[in-house]
Amino acid sequence: MRDIAIQFDGVSKKYRLRHGWYVSIRDELARLARRFLLRDPGEPHQFWALQDVSFDIARGETIGLIGPNGAGKSTILKILSRVTTPTDGSFAVRGKVGALIEVGAGFHPDLTGRENVYLNGAIMGMRRHEIEAKFDQIVAFAEVEAFIDTPLKYYSSGMMVRLGFAVAAHIEPEILLVDEVLAVGDTAFQAKCLNKIAELKEQDKTIILVSHTMPSILQHSTRVLWVDHGKLQAFGDPEETVEEYLRSVQAHVSAGSEIEPGERPASDSPIHISSVTLRDAEERVVHSLTFGQPASIDVAYVTSGQVDNPVVSVTFQDVRGYPLGSLTSRLDGLELDVSEGHGVVRLVLLPVLFTRGSYGITVAIHDSRIQRYLDLKARAASFMVAGPSVASREVSGHVIYPHRWEAHVEQVK
Amino acid sequence: MVYLDDLIRHRHLILSFAQRDIRAKYKQTIFGIAWAVFQPFSLMVAFTFVFSRFAQVDSEGIPYPIFSYSALIFWTCFASSVSQGTIAMAANANLVRKIYFPRETLLLAVMISALIDLGIAALVFFGMLVYYGIGLTWVSLWVIPLLALQVLITLAVICVTSAVHVHFRDIGHVLPLALLLWMLATPVAYPLSSVPASVRSLYMLNPMAGIIDGYRRVLLHGSPPDLPYLLAAFGVALFGVTVAYLFFKRAERTFADII
Repeated sequence: MRDIAIQFDGVSKKYRLRHGWYVSIRDELARLARRFLLRDPGEPHQFWALQDVSFDIARGETIGLIGPNGAGKSTILKILSRVTTPTDGSFAVRGKVGALIEVGAGFHPDLTGRENVYLNGAIMGMRRHEIEAKFDQIVAFAEVEAFIDTPLKYYSSGMMVRLGFAVAAHIEPEILLVDEVLAVGDTAFQAKCLNKIAELKEQDKTIILVSHTMPSILQHSTRVLWVDHGKLQAFGDPEETVEEYLRSVQAHVSAGSEIEPGERPASDSPIHISSVTLRDAEERVVHSLTFGQPASIDVAYVTSGQVDNPVVSVTFQDVRGYPLGSLTSRLDGLELDVSEGHGVVRLVLLPVLFTRGSYGITVAIHDSRIQRYLDLKARAASFMVAGPSVASREVSGHVIYPHRWEAHVEQVK
Repeated sequence: MVYLDDLIRHRHLILSFAQRDIRAKYKQTIFGIAWAVFQPFSLMVAFTFVFSRFAQVDSEGIPYPIFSYSALIFWTCFASSVSQGTIAMAANANLVRKIYFPRETLLLAVMISALIDLGIAALVFFGMLVYYGIGLTWVSLWVIPLLALQVLITLAVICVTSAVHVHFRDIGHVLPLALLLWMLATPVAYPLSSVPASVRSLYMLNPMAGIIDGYRRVLLHGSPPDLPYLLAAFGVALFGVTVAYLFFKRAERTFADII
């Protein structure tokens, strides 16, 4: 067993909820009066951000911390960075902690970039000579050389974020907390940040990465910690934990949008989607598909009158609902002759080309010119895909396009 | 002890915060650092008219402008550090919520920046000494322990008020009035000798009364302060600042949750 860098032992954190953003003495007196006069036990407005959370993290691990908003991720980071203390339980952190939490929190708009680098470095625990030694590196990393003596308030938000990350990335902590910062900056800067994180990993630093972007969690983590409702749900293998998490998110989302038989949308449209079903190559109804195997999506509809050449569309979405692309029946020139009754339109995937993960499907029926929706079922179905994973770093993104690599090497004498 | 250890490790941060406070305060101003002189100086001019010309307050044989200015520079240092210190946590809420550092560094930075303002305002005081032909003696060095005592009292006050301010912003509304009343209860505009003997012992419970009077005594009258009183005051101030500091550190744990 390697040295333990971080240890949580039965950590709980309670917050008192307030109606305003601070209490006044009047409110506090009212609360005390209620407590004594009405024998109200008081504090009905409390909320457990963490409940009995225990885990160990070894030195050199990169931990992905996942969970929905409000699950307790930030509270864990705040306890680790000593910004707040747990209500119950104990924790131990071995090593200097650096946090990339809302980079640039310590910036002052009236001071110049240079002055802010020194100030922010000092806030993060660097000594003056340490900052001096790294100053040029920091400025070069942030790409703000030309503006270093300009007050920060004249910086663009991108420049400010870059400067904040640059300072934080150069503090050389033994434990680094990274909160969603990979979502900032342009692609080139993101690449720089990822390289920096990879460099820190090589130096055997412990990293805790918080992100809603599962691919980046999978690409970097050695283990994944999933929290929900203040409780530890799972802590282990990245792919298994992320998949378990995605399944729970999806169960939650699709529970509300399941198409009930006989459910009638409010509109007086003449055509409605009655069900959306996924089938594998053997016509079995499934919820998970395999990369490289054919599969089909059956869209059943009911009509209550003549519809002139409707168009069916299927949109694939990632786990967060972001559309990845749509296919319409018009593209393939499918003519639908629809009169009163019902029928099924089938979209056959030849084959499934999605990477490993969890996906959603939104199905719509449009008029013949694809200008109006006749019916729309958001997240009508969802499915998991077994296949190449982004965790392998050999692919990234959601789709593997049919392709072939070729190499032409010319020998130079 | 653990607290002091942590504080010493972050000593460079105190200076960084103080530097930030001073730089930011005078950036984009035309008069810049001269504003440090402006406040006590304009109060001195106003006091001279109101208390010396109109109300004919006795100034113990010393020209009233320098009589009041000698107290005003120190009082301004006290009042501005108390008012800035009290709101220091809320003013840096963004930092307190996101990053760990010993929070008292913010208070010490406020103190340092007020002392630097005092130093600048004191330059005018030396000019006035020359103008009125008052010479300084070795006794004037008593200013140093007196100032140290004032710093201890200021820190004790802001340790408590800043921690309370995190919970109850009410204190921010009370503060200007409280400081005004406190100044009236301190021999800034009038001499200590004009306080009736019957209430003198009650009056001297105000720690700033003895200190402000002490400055005047050692700087303008050339007479040393009452040593037993000074030692006793130091004892009380040290005890007070210790208790206040422990209170502050106890309250500090939940600052980030509440602020």
